[in-house]
Amino acid sequence: MTLFRVVLPGFVLLSTSILFGQSAPAADLVLKNATVMTASHGTIEHGAVWVHAGKIAGVGATVSAPANAQVIDATGKWVTPGIIDPHSHSALSNDVNEATSPVTPSMMMIDAFDNRDKALYQALAGGVTTELLLHGSANMIGGQAVVIKNKFGLSRDAMLFPNAPRSIKFASGENPKRVYGSRDQLPSTRMGNFEVMRQSFENAKAYMASWDAYNAKLAKKDDSAVAPKKDLKLEALADVLRGKLYVQIHCYRADEFLTEEAIAHEYGYKIRAFHHALEMYKVADQIAPENTAIATFSDWWGYKDEAWDAIPWNAVMSMRKGVKVALKSDSNDHIRRLNQEAGKMVHYGGATEDEAIRMVTLNPAWIIGVDDRVGSIDVGKDADLVIWNVDPLSTYARAEKVFIDGDLFFDLAAPGFGTPHFSGAMHDGGGFGNDDSENEDGD
Amino acid sequence: MMAAGLGTTIQRTRMGTNMIRRSGSILLAASLIAACSGLAQAPAKSGGVIAITGGKLLTVSHGVIENGVLLIKDGKISAVGESGKVDVPKDATIVDARGMTVYPGLIEPDTTLGLTEVGSDENSNDLAERSDEIMPHMHVADAFHAETELIPVARLNGITNAMVAPGEDDSVAGQDIFIQLAGRSRDAMILGRDIGLSVNYGADQRRRGGRGKSEYPSTRMGLITQLRQSLLDAQHYEAARDAAVKKPEKTGDKGSDKGEKPVAERDLKLEALLPYLHGQKPVVIGVSEGYDIETIMKVAQEFHLKVILNHVTHSQEVLDEIAAWKVPVIVGSIYDFPKANERFDAVYTLPAELAKRGVKIAISSAEAGGPGGAHGVRNLPYAAGFAVAYGLPYEDGLKAITLNVAEMYGFGDKLGSLDVGKMANVVLANGDPLDVRTDVKQVYIEGVAQPMVSRQTVLRDEYSKP
Repeated sequence: MTLFRVVLPGFVLLSTSILFGQSAPAADLVLKNATVMTASHGTIEHGAVWVHAGKIAGVGATVSAPANAQVIDATGKWVTPGIIDPHSHSALSNDVNEATSPVTPSMMMIDAFDNRDKALYQALAGGVTTELLLHGSANMIGGQAVVIKNKFGLSRDAMLFPNAPRSIKFASGENPKRVYGSRDQLPSTRMGNFEVMRQSFENAKAYMASWDAYNAKLAKKDDSAVAPKKDLKLEALADVLRGKLYVQIHCYRADEFLTEEAIAHEYGYKIRAFHHALEMYKVADQIAPENTAIATFSDWWGYKDEAWDAIPWNAVMSMRKGVKVALKSDSNDHIRRLNQEAGKMVHYGGATEDEAIRMVTLNPAWIIGVDDRVGSIDVGKDADLVIWNVDPLSTYARAEKVFIDGDLFFDLAAPGFGTPHFSGAMHDGGGFGNDDSENEDGD
Repeated sequence: MMAAGLGTTIQRTRMGTNMIRRSGSILLAASLIAACSGLAQAPAKSGGVIAITGGKLLTVSHGVIENGVLLIKDGKISAVGESGKVDVPKDATIVDARGMTVYPGLIEPDTTLGLTEVGSDENSNDLAERSDEIMPHMHVADAFHAETELIPVARLNGITNAMVAPGEDDSVAGQDIFIQLAGRSRDAMILGRDIGLSVNYGADQRRRGGRGKSEYPSTRMGLITQLRQSLLDAQHYEAARDAAVKKPEKTGDKGSDKGEKPVAERDLKLEALLPYLHGQKPVVIGVSEGYDIETIMKVAQEFHLKVILNHVTHSQEVLDEIAAWKVPVIVGSIYDFPKANERFDAVYTLPAELAKRGVKIAISSAEAGGPGGAHGVRNLPYAAGFAVAYGLPYEDGLKAITLNVAEMYGFGDKLGSLDVGKMANVVLANGDPLDVRTDVKQVYIEGVAQPMVSRQTVLRDEYSKP
């Protein structure tokens, strides 16, 4: 009996693997003879990448992998780090905005994450391995993001990026003022927008003070100490002030970048990135010293007033002035071809290919706070890799194989969906583009 | 480059107010005026010849000439050939195109360019008249805003012509125009008015249905019945009108004056359908699903309409039927989302699958969700390139945004390829026109070098100053 109990699970596991064509990733894998765009230290012609136990163990003209390593000859092909999208609303069950109050910092996007949404698969087929799934832009202070690895086919929890920093979404400008203004509520103007923020942080400071007082009494063993009420909303805002949350702000206009930075200074937190940031080119020299990055569109413009001064040179102009620049999708459409959005930066402003690929790999990794683990092909980093048929910045690029933690999650040559870890039915969580297109509260 | 009256133009567009709010720079405003007008640089002096030499010519109609010469005279292409085999007049203006690709201006087959300015600003949009589903008497020419800031933006990426159609809210949305992306006025830019009738069929036109609504038509049955009745009404209207003209009413009937024919009351709506019922002009049918395509084609065949199919993004199961109908197809958006049970490239491969079956295809710049639309027309070549990435032969990809489009709308003898006698809409770029990395260096429209300036380049240049 005892033996049976031990053996049975092993047998079941084995047969399941055979059934779905799964197999554990090889302990050692070498991609060789490829043009390797490392994103951190240039491009290696006829280069090789050695993957050991899900991590990058070597990269260069040659690597010293063991003889029994699985070898993929990538002659004529290109290898890049997995594409990283720092602004997506995919796979959130159409629950992007808790648009019932302009301040909802305790909303957790993980609670809406649907790991079987087809948008994840379609992004995977475009080489996307990591996504920051954000709350929408209806609220001045929205909810907390979830960071995923696009291991399509695995369970919900197995798709979470382990120990990723927490991010919170803020917004500004037209969306909050439209959403609440249309209900005759505060805020309905940019003045109202920012006042809502300031008041929120005043509340958080009072909340923190009440806890500080309580803890001080406890420390003195004062019997009269009564614990204040734990408040999820204020707790989240306090975490912003404590520097425990990366602040990601939906913001379009030059003046608003300046206001946001001023408020951040006033209350003592840092802004990790401005998202959209279509007018950053106007004030990039002022923002660069703040060490705030941007996650921007390549060339979307004109869909609303605050996108009217958008120019496709924004990304490269801002980069040249010292701002860290990432491109992002904010769209189930563009997330499938972020590599080409990067390619446009060669056209608009003359980015080098290294600079362009960094905008969809290492720089978005920094915005999410996982650049020590993904975003470039460096020894010790997670083996999140894409093999492309041609230069990934070209119109003609197709992702042929996508590895995450050294495991193959998409294979263009495989039958059906091309997903070694997935078979069955996907969900359709509704496809939407970006702000104001199909989601009237704004994404 | 500048002309009196442009100040008015600026006020009509969004720019005036934004400029005041944003920079207050008179200098910038002045340069914007120059940038944003549809006006082109003065043409070469009459009789002058422009010689574009040494470039790689993508003729579209007769292959690639690696080291070619193209001559432009009086706004038309006057010679195309290999270097050394074309006589370049001594006084010609030489444009050195060595290292460059030279190709015909790109043609957008389906856009709302000129009907919208700022997406979220209703006052700047004239997309669709939603009071009824059957609106054939809406003329895009009446709303086309020639001075839109969107046109120079599209032109900078080599788009020189477009078919402009209403938004797709209505079953019969109105009549389309074919435009040139340059010209001194609206009339100079519209090369053809009422060149096609935009028809749409599918779930999106059922606006009177849904929760809490119960007006007719609220279903596909209702939409088709309403459309069929309208076409029958138009036929009856024509027959009655013709009969009235042929047979004068007898004296005294209907109290008309003695001996005079009664003047039939015109019905503009029904009258607008007649050229299409006669098959004189194409009906551009926007429809996406295979079963919807079959339904609407039954109606089209019943009334002998000359059809161009548009969208057809989920037509995989009727591809052979589409080929058998011998109708041209506009694929758009190639980026439309596959369904949950489909492979990721189910729509990406559609142009290739249609072309393989001998269907004449055009590709539009439409995106899936997002602002896209008229603001994204500049991305037209990349949509064609994407089709090439997923199996469409390169030549077909280029044709799908040039010659095929021109032919679909009756401009095949004037546009779409580098051929002698055609309008000199010509683009010079530093590489493959379908590649996102390629930079367009010069655009000619009717032989006139267009200023490579838009509102966006002016902003770029202003904020690039140290």
